Amino acid sequence: MIKLEKVSKFYSKNKVLDEVSLFIKSGEFVSIVGQSGAGKTTVVRLLIGEERADSGKVQVGDWDITRLSRREIPHLRRQIGVIFQDFKLLPKKTLEENISFALEVSGGSREKIKKIVPSVLKIVGLEGKGKRYPGEVSGGEKQRAAIARALVHQPKILLADEPTGNLDALNADEIIELLLRINNFGTTVVLVTHNKEIVNRLNRRVITMDSGQVISDKENGKYLL
Amino acid sequence: MLSLYRIIKFSFQDIIRNGWLSIVTVTILFLSLFSINTLSTASYISDGAVNAIKDKIDISLYLKADSQEKEIMLLKNSLNQNSRIKEVVYISKAAALEDFRKKYENNQEVLAALKEIGKNPLSPALIIHPVNLEESALLINELKVFDSPIIESRDFSDNSIILGKIENITKRINDVGLFIIIVFALTSLLVVYNAIRVTIYTHRQEIEIMRLVGASNFFIYMPYVFSSLMYAIFSVLLIIAAFFPLLTLLQPYLEVFFTGYSVNVLSYYLDNFLVIFGAQFLVVLFINIFASLIAVRRYSKI
Repeated sequence: MIKLEKVSKFYSKNKVLDEVSLFIKSGEFVSIVGQSGAGKTTVVRLLIGEERADSGKVQVGDWDITRLSRREIPHLRRQIGVIFQDFKLLPKKTLEENISFALEVSGGSREKIKKIVPSVLKIVGLEGKGKRYPGEVSGGEKQRAAIARALVHQPKILLADEPTGNLDALNADEIIELLLRINNFGTTVVLVTHNKEIVNRLNRRVITMDSGQVISDKENGKYLL
Repeated sequence: MLSLYRIIKFSFQDIIRNGWLSIVTVTILFLSLFSINTLSTASYISDGAVNAIKDKIDISLYLKADSQEKEIMLLKNSLNQNSRIKEVVYISKAAALEDFRKKYENNQEVLAALKEIGKNPLSPALIIHPVNLEESALLINELKVFDSPIIESRDFSDNSIILGKIENITKRINDVGLFIIIVFALTSLLVVYNAIRVTIYTHRQEIEIMRLVGASNFFIYMPYVFSSLMYAIFSVLLIIAAFFPLLTLLQPYLEVFFTGYSVNVLSYYLDNFLVIFGAQFLVVLFINIFASLIAVRRYSKI
């Protein structure tokens, strides 16, 4: 499903990824952990085509990201759900509009939008709050809306880059529960985090990165650093 | 059709929900257009003033009363050969009398005196209009030594002083006009630069998110292009609505000031409505789209 083969990435002269290789199977729930600057977020950026690898090969499903043209990137992003620490919701659109926006820009029909938006709102537990603006809801609810938006294309992969970073413990737990539920539906979930408690409680596969390299990759792993 | 509908919908959502920014953008564009139209009006009026003054500049050669038509025509043709002379107008004795009567039609004393003389006391004359106001002094010097037996007197002694003053005034008008143009050009440049910065600032997050959810370039660019079109339309409509009442207020004062001359700024704007406001619309549209595209390109690389 996700395959990185000897991937290296430089920012100016700094090597942020050093021949990273990893493979994530379809339907897995994987945590990528590491301290700041370990290269976790760079992996996410490579997977959504935001950055290009300087060497090596990045593959997501049938997509060879290293050879992807700029025109193909929007199509790739419609098949990968992504959520971020800062939610990335449009403040001038309601939660419902933020979610339907992802379908509108990809040419989804009105009927499809009318059907899907309420269902994803229900999945993330935001029924009845769709008409609110991001400024009118809590951090946890914003992240739920971001997850709902990531789900509208029914992606096979959901990338979560520090999704609990801006949330209190209770809201963070709820978001992780939601990600586990989504994983149970068959979606591959890649959780990038440095939250030790969450990773240890999950008891799932953990890939540990340090200084741009994978230093550990364990099933039912723990936070090592 | 669905795509077009969504582009227009996103654009109007953007305009309405960023209401203050939309108002500020349209206001900045309106003020720029107001400056340009004020300059254009000032330029039209100063052109009118200069032409009126130039019209006043003439040099008269008064001819002997018994001069023959043939001799006068020969003199007129000879003067016409001079490259500094734009036009020579012959005023016959009869025409001079007619003009005199018209000029003093409300002055019965003068008309009575004329009647008492019993004959036409006026001389025929040649009125000379120079090509360039600046070269009038040189022309006068030439005419002072121009010899012809039928010339009785020459009337340009006082004109040299007036001409000097007019030259000074014209030079000042040109200098001030140039200064105003430079000030407005710099202002417009700053306004455009600022508009680009504001566009970049306000749209960066939105563009980033649009990219992340898989929006194509077309969907990212087009709502901004459409918003640019709307801002251009609003600002030009606003300037038309604001400027015409001002011109209507100004025109009566101009009519009094330029009595006898055709300086009608309202007619000028009405006659050239499509050219003036069409060009302004196109320029504003170009600037807006250019600013938006720069902003979108800068933040669409994610």
